[in-house]
Amino acid sequence: MSSLSALGQRLLQLIPVLIGISLVSFLLVQLSPGDPVRLLLGDRATAEAVAHLREQYGLNQPLIAQYFSYLSNVLHGDLGHSIRYQMPVGSLILDFVPPTLFLIAYVVAISVPATVVLAIVSARCRDRWPDHLIRALAILGMTIPVFWLALMMSRFFGVELGWFPVSGYGKGFLEHLHHLFLPAISTATWLVPLLLRNLRAALINETESDYVTASRSKGLGEGYIFRRHVLVNSVLPTLNLLGVMIAFLIGSSIVVEIIYAVPGLGTLMVGAVLGRDYNVIQGLTLFYALASVIVTLTIDILSTTIDPRVKL
Amino acid sequence: MHWHRNAAAGIAMTLALLTAPAAASAENLIRVGSPYPTSTLDPMRSSSAGNIEVFGQLYSRLLRRGADGALEPGLAESWGVSADGTVVTLKLRDAKFSDGSPITGADVVFSLLRVRDDKESAYSAPLQQLKDARAEGDKTVVLTLKHPFAPFLGNLEVFNAGIVSKADVEKRGKDAFTKEPVTSGPYIVSEWRPNDRLILKPNANYWRTGFPKNDGAELIEIADANTRVSMMLSGELDATRDVPWSRVSEVQSREGLTLPLEPSTVIYMTLLNETKPPFDDIKVRQAAAYALDVPAITKAMTLGHAKPATTTLPGALDYHASDYPGIPYDPAKAKAMLAESSYKGEELVLLANATGDNDKLSVLIQAQWAAVGIKSRVEKLDRGAWWERIAAGDYHAAPSWWYNETLDPDLAVRWALCGSCGTKSFYTGYNNKKVDELTETAAGELDPSKRAELYRQIQQITTEEVSQIPLYYAPYANAYSERVKGLGMNPMLQWSLEETVFTGE
Repeated sequence: MSSLSALGQRLLQLIPVLIGISLVSFLLVQLSPGDPVRLLLGDRATAEAVAHLREQYGLNQPLIAQYFSYLSNVLHGDLGHSIRYQMPVGSLILDFVPPTLFLIAYVVAISVPATVVLAIVSARCRDRWPDHLIRALAILGMTIPVFWLALMMSRFFGVELGWFPVSGYGKGFLEHLHHLFLPAISTATWLVPLLLRNLRAALINETESDYVTASRSKGLGEGYIFRRHVLVNSVLPTLNLLGVMIAFLIGSSIVVEIIYAVPGLGTLMVGAVLGRDYNVIQGLTLFYALASVIVTLTIDILSTTIDPRVKL
Repeated sequence: MHWHRNAAAGIAMTLALLTAPAAASAENLIRVGSPYPTSTLDPMRSSSAGNIEVFGQLYSRLLRRGADGALEPGLAESWGVSADGTVVTLKLRDAKFSDGSPITGADVVFSLLRVRDDKESAYSAPLQQLKDARAEGDKTVVLTLKHPFAPFLGNLEVFNAGIVSKADVEKRGKDAFTKEPVTSGPYIVSEWRPNDRLILKPNANYWRTGFPKNDGAELIEIADANTRVSMMLSGELDATRDVPWSRVSEVQSREGLTLPLEPSTVIYMTLLNETKPPFDDIKVRQAAAYALDVPAITKAMTLGHAKPATTTLPGALDYHASDYPGIPYDPAKAKAMLAESSYKGEELVLLANATGDNDKLSVLIQAQWAAVGIKSRVEKLDRGAWWERIAAGDYHAAPSWWYNETLDPDLAVRWALCGSCGTKSFYTGYNNKKVDELTETAAGELDPSKRAELYRQIQQITTEEVSQIPLYYAPYANAYSERVKGLGMNPMLQWSLEETVFTGE
């Protein structure tokens, strides 16, 4: 089977997955207590005004009818209107995508080189002091709560030293880099240790495998063996882990986005959940699902190019 | 080798750029942080805090409040009230909407009637006594009331009585408020990014010449209180709403920042569900009130920055009975009353909503009640779920807060204490016919000293009967940077943005 048709098949499998996700997210938000109209109109709104607007927005119809009208809209590419803002959900979400994507790219750009360098140093100096130091720091980085680290960094580097802004996204590429530096570092602090431990273990495992011993016996240099064989063969599991973590980050950037007031998807999600803006919550859930699938698919395609034995 | 050198140069350049200060923006916008979201720009469609703050910047009312809180001419340059108090005639000034069209009597009539009549109007109570509104020519408006109604002029200053353009709203419908709304106030919308920020720029046609005194403002939504404080400390905001009480002193002692604790119409209190046992029994309610050491709770919650509440009405309102002593802390009396009551030790539900430190307040109340023998458990919900339970009467007690959008107590009484006025006394089910009658009498009474007496009676009855347990009158904990001068918030949640200038320019 050619990889192209395999790709097509993977994309086709997506459709039932997305429909399932849309149903679950629809039921979850609709069945949770809270009325978007009450929150929209404010505390003093009369019961009549609330009832009228619920009627107008179709919130009084049976759930099944609401779901099918939602589904048919989605299949036509229309994610509906935000109850709160009376704006199309699609364009609302798109407005909040760039900061989150930028942040994730930033985190990856910081984490991947750091992981590779540290893992190699750690593996090659196995059980000597650099290895101990890196492993100790990794455990520290994994155990520090993100929200605490984010708060502390914002107070120290932002408020006290004034090196970095403590909020926002800025305008233009350089300002984005500047504004998102602390959020990216806060996130990388737990991501790097995770990837690092994975890569280090794989490197050590490969170094001890038979084919490496065979290469050594042929008289190949250690450096050559490491670069040409060990490293390439160790990268795959970590690459897959990275894919999972990126998909996870898209949905879990909420904490750093709230603490650093970054107008990204996490901020939008929190606002939508607190305001019970059903269509926005559902739209975001679908977006997350789609993004996760695209990331894992990309990782799979990358894997096939690194190791031709891997099939899509 | 080239690769290494390029990489090193790239890293050096990135580092240099990263630590360079961000370029100053071209315009000087006043940056205001708030946890309260802007969800609509139509003054009729919401009564929630974030929207109220914005409406005042976009839409002028017929009357406005001066710095001292007194009613001043707004879009109406003068007005007269007939001898029997039922006809108000207002003369409009020559003013224009932001699109350059004149503001006429027809626009005024349209704006007021849609608040009263439109099915989507969120809060029609302020204009319920308006019987008829008509324009006489372009510049005169005659408003006829159902009966004499003392709070009426004040209600023309309430947030949703802002004047909108009849022609534009009729032409564009709902779009009139989502895309570049035509405004009558100091600002127009430069950009609205829902869930993030609203950027305002001056309305060139604003009727107060010389205002606004700045290039505009950026109202930024920041959910996290500590983030707002960090942004103030690092100079990324010029003003912010709601500094947590625990950080007020820190902000006050910081050079370049002020936190004046401005008076507000906010009252913190505990709702008691009077539609079911045990709080349908007045003895249990009174015992619950005697059991609370209100001054101690106030101190613990606000570190002494708020005043303990003594009546059921906010302390900043006109006719507040400030010499009324309130219900004292008397646990012995509470125990005795509880013994005589219908309460037999059932576990009650204290509904805490997850905003601010409401859960802390709930736990304090729970502990003091436990000391006299009232058992309760705290249930923490977000505001959406909290509201569903309150409106359905599915709770026993719920510590919360409310504010009044004008200084006259009429709307506050109708909302929180009157059983027959539509909101069942803030959904507590408190219902006293005498209070309902007094509400109407006090509203129709035109003599201020007689009104004061009537509102005193209302406060006395409802406090003694414990319609709610008043806790404290919280001032606004808004912080300001000394970079700006003239910025403040009045008790009606209105910023004085148009008066604000940057110092040192």
